[in-house]
Amino acid sequence: MNVQAVKRVLKSKKALLLLITVVVIAAFYFVNPNYLSMDSIRGTMQRMSITGIMALGIACLFISGGIDLASSSECLFGGVVCGLLIKSGIPWGWAVAATLAVGGVIGALNAFLALKIGLMPFISTIAISSVLQGINLGVTNAQNIPIPNPTFAWGSRNLFGILPIPFVIMIVLIIVYEYVLKRTQFGRNMYIVGGNVYAARLSGLNPDRILTVLYINNAVVSTLAGIVLASRMQSASPLSMSDSQMDAITAAILGGIAFYGGGGDMSGCLIGILLLNFFSSGLNMLALESYWTTIASGLLLIIALMFDYLNERAAQRALKVKTTARAAAPGEAK
Amino acid sequence: MSEYLEFQGISKAYPGVQALSDISFRAEAGRVLALLGENGAGKSTLLKILSGDIRPDAGGIVISGEEMSFPTPRDAILAGVSVIYQERQLVPLLSVMENIFPGALPKTALGIDKNRLRAEAKAVIGKFGLPIDPDEPVGRLSVAYQQMVEIMKAYTRNSRIIAFDEPTAPLTDTETDILFRLIGDLKAEGKIIIYVSHRMAEIFKITDDVVVLKDGKFVKAMRTQDTDERALIQAMVGRDIGDTYSNLSRNEEYGDVLLEVRGLCTDALDDVSFSLRRGEVLGLAGLVGAGRTEVVRAIFGADAIEAGEIIFEGKQVRFTEPRDAIRAGIALCPEDRKEQGLILSRSVRENVTMPVLSKLKKGLFNMFLDRDAENRLTQEVIDQFTIRTPSINKIARELSGGNQQKVILGRWTNEKVSTKLLILDEPTKGIDVATKAEIYQMVCDFAKAGFAVIFISSELTEVINVSDRIIVMHNGHITGEVMRQEATEENVLALAMLD
Amino acid sequence: MSGTTQKRTLTALKRFIVSKTAAMILLFILLSAAFAIISKGIFIKPKNLVNILSSMAISAFLTEGVALLMISGKLDLSTGASGTLCGMFLAYILRAGFPLIPALVVTIVLGAVIGFINALVVNSMDIAPFIATLATSSVMTGFIYLIANKKTIDVSNPVLKYYGKGMLFDYVPVSALVAFAAMVVIGIILHKTEFGRNIYLVGGNPTAAMLAGVNPKKMSYILFSTCGFFSALAGITLVSRLQSASITGISAQRFQGITAAVLGGISFGGGSGGMAGAFVGLLILSTFSNGLTVIGVSPHWQNVASGLLLLFALTLDVLNEKRITNTVA
Repeated sequence: MNVQAVKRVLKSKKALLLLITVVVIAAFYFVNPNYLSMDSIRGTMQRMSITGIMALGIACLFISGGIDLASSSECLFGGVVCGLLIKSGIPWGWAVAATLAVGGVIGALNAFLALKIGLMPFISTIAISSVLQGINLGVTNAQNIPIPNPTFAWGSRNLFGILPIPFVIMIVLIIVYEYVLKRTQFGRNMYIVGGNVYAARLSGLNPDRILTVLYINNAVVSTLAGIVLASRMQSASPLSMSDSQMDAITAAILGGIAFYGGGGDMSGCLIGILLLNFFSSGLNMLALESYWTTIASGLLLIIALMFDYLNERAAQRALKVKTTARAAAPGEAK
Repeated sequence: MSEYLEFQGISKAYPGVQALSDISFRAEAGRVLALLGENGAGKSTLLKILSGDIRPDAGGIVISGEEMSFPTPRDAILAGVSVIYQERQLVPLLSVMENIFPGALPKTALGIDKNRLRAEAKAVIGKFGLPIDPDEPVGRLSVAYQQMVEIMKAYTRNSRIIAFDEPTAPLTDTETDILFRLIGDLKAEGKIIIYVSHRMAEIFKITDDVVVLKDGKFVKAMRTQDTDERALIQAMVGRDIGDTYSNLSRNEEYGDVLLEVRGLCTDALDDVSFSLRRGEVLGLAGLVGAGRTEVVRAIFGADAIEAGEIIFEGKQVRFTEPRDAIRAGIALCPEDRKEQGLILSRSVRENVTMPVLSKLKKGLFNMFLDRDAENRLTQEVIDQFTIRTPSINKIARELSGGNQQKVILGRWTNEKVSTKLLILDEPTKGIDVATKAEIYQMVCDFAKAGFAVIFISSELTEVINVSDRIIVMHNGHITGEVMRQEATEENVLALAMLD
Repeated sequence: MSGTTQKRTLTALKRFIVSKTAAMILLFILLSAAFAIISKGIFIKPKNLVNILSSMAISAFLTEGVALLMISGKLDLSTGASGTLCGMFLAYILRAGFPLIPALVVTIVLGAVIGFINALVVNSMDIAPFIATLATSSVMTGFIYLIANKKTIDVSNPVLKYYGKGMLFDYVPVSALVAFAAMVVIGIILHKTEFGRNIYLVGGNPTAAMLAGVNPKKMSYILFSTCGFFSALAGITLVSRLQSASITGISAQRFQGITAAVLGGISFGGGSGGMAGAFVGLLILSTFSNGLTVIGVSPHWQNVASGLLLLFALTLDVLNEKRITNTVA
């Protein structure tokens, strides 16, 4: 590690974000030292894991220029499917595997609609979300499904008695994704596709194939989040408590994932998840009603989008504006 | 036997345009082949076919005796073809080194080896002799350096065929020299090189063979040393260009000063001053990116002005949006017809009447659009400019390029608009030769009708023959002014490339 | 004169027959027939037809606002939240003792202001409208909970009740009448006025429109505000009908406006479509959800159906666009 690299890290947006996170945590701690008690931290970790896991899938999609607004429905759907399977007597391991496979099918459907048919993914996934949510409610008749299977309750346990299992799952996923992004050809291709689709095609990549993998990945990861939630609660709920969809997107963009593709990484995403969740659990601690958290996270998303615009997009535009001005030479029709 | 690349009877049609018809020629290894032609001649389409970006309707590509087909760009790359486009194919947020090596990354057991990647990138950058940091995101580099990174990318791919599409447009002289040195090296290594450029000097400096295309057809192939500039231009244009211009019926009498620009500065312009009389055609010459478009956009209120004065009809003005400029009597036909000029999905009628709708009303409180008046006006424009369209309700997208341009001209010069200053930014780009000649005469007619005209064009012959007076720009400021009688391509180009 | 008029009518007729609107009308007829048969005639009983009409009022308002935005090339996904918030706000201030007329005016202004804020977020930083409005709708949802404070707010006002539930000549729901009247007015504005024309121009190509003297930014402020205005009307209509405001409000209908507009031929690209098409889209949408209720499909499964309907509409839109760009480059 040379001096230049250290300097670059210090000047980066990530350092600033980390600083903000520390300041936020310190501020709440100052108001109420209980905020950093073991129980409170563990509670925050529990809570952040579900939206955190979803945020990872979303982040990967964003990096390559895709989007899936059905994540939260996929998450609930995953819980419901898994719960029903376990209830019907299937061993929980098989149930989880089957549920993840169902998630894969949903992701493939999203990819098909967006890439093969050519629908705008932000609206087609909203439609899919409505379909999934309808199935959730229809199948369960809007009732919770209790899962009376103690071996499936791993989601509520802690690793070494300290770290909540859901949190551990999230961290493992972050490490895996970070490795893929930074150290493999596929990860590199993800950035190329998100940064300049046309260039990706001309340099021999198949953007549709990469995006398909990421759509499937996102749906699988979202259903995994649902399974984890079901395991933690020992029941599957077809209705969501909070707007986990927006939280996942907010965490990703807050963490420096470029909304329009081509930039960001998992360490940033982790900071985004931490910042968002420590912030909202702080608000909870102040005994504010949960709607303040909703309002705050909406505002945070707007702020994150503005940062996104100011930072990455400025660089991107420097290139794009000039290229489009040239790309459009008439006569040489496309 | 040495390697070669051969196009065999390539044809490609787009709806309404035959972009390429039956193109055949051969490029030899160890030689640089210049591909020449006007805008719209089909050079870019041919390069896109070579790179596998689009597929030809007929014909094929043969490399050293082997029939090739490139259904996707990947196939072309695997066959050893690299095409460096005008539009830079870079990923802005990725670092320089990651852009240089998009495929085939060095790996260790733990995945991509960043250190080796950096070292290899440094080696390539060193070979080019440029001060570029391999860790810098490519989006932060200057346009010229981005272009060089693009070239490095093709260079490291070690392709046997390399095509350059106007690579020097954004480069300075030093960078151009570096590029030429590299092309020399590549040539010595026995690569097949195709070089597209509009700059005659470059053609004669570095190419060995020339192929000329015109309107999608093959015109001729020859050795560069056996030809000269005049012959090449004649081949590109397809006739002796002298005639078109000498037959123009020009306006001889100017009125009073209509527009005066003093010390205009924007983020792309530096201290631009000039004046223009009614009835005069003022040409703005210069290379792409010299600031010509920026001058007229600033006058028109489309870009922010930092300093300077604009005096229009004796009054100082500063328009904050185009609407105000239009009200004052300024009209801009923008450089990119399809992206900025027309609303392709709407009818000819709607495209013609869009700036004058407020004068085409009737009914209660004058609230409603007068469809009959609209129709009449559009029909007048169609007749006056002989626009070929089956009806006034035809969608603009379905017209040919020349007719589309006439729709825009008609929009700004019909009886309902009060245009006094007409700005034409690249009005003949991508238009066939016959319509071009029509447009030149129209420009002169506008001047006769009392309009002051600003005429911007990248084609030197055109701008120096149509305009009465030519202002030459370079890098955001004016480098000289020439009257038509004294203007030659050489003296204008010298001013345009001034450093 | 009459000859050319006749010719014009003929070509217009020809174009109509091959148009998407005609296909949609056909679809509407088929749907209605199917529901009539499956429900053994209940579907086409006058009482049910009146039900359909009155159910159209809210979605009509939502369609009007969103359709205008979509023609101009923008989009608003916050209409559900802003409508619900406005309805909740109206109930709240009425309970606090505001007289009806000022309360209505304030509520409608609130809707327009929300729309204006959406435009501000979109324009100030060039943020894609769909994500900007999703974010603002999250903020608004918070405010809905804040005002509701976990309760529904009852409203008892005879005028609102008449507006929400009343019938003109026993068969025409008052609110639907208002909504349809608004649709006619918008249709006239779109096709007969300079402002309407400019909406199409901006949607077709904002740069070209700007260079021809139309200000796309100003347009987006006006149309986002208009969209907020209509969302408020939708929210008010629901509150009038239910005589109370709850936190769910019109959120179940939040994508109906978009679905109806897309079904009716208003494409996401902007610059095309109109109110006649949107009305047909609305008819299909309302027939569809009412028909499902009549034949006994539970509301849960109706979610599935409406999602599929939206996908169907989107697919048609894309196929249509592809056809156009294929025939003419």
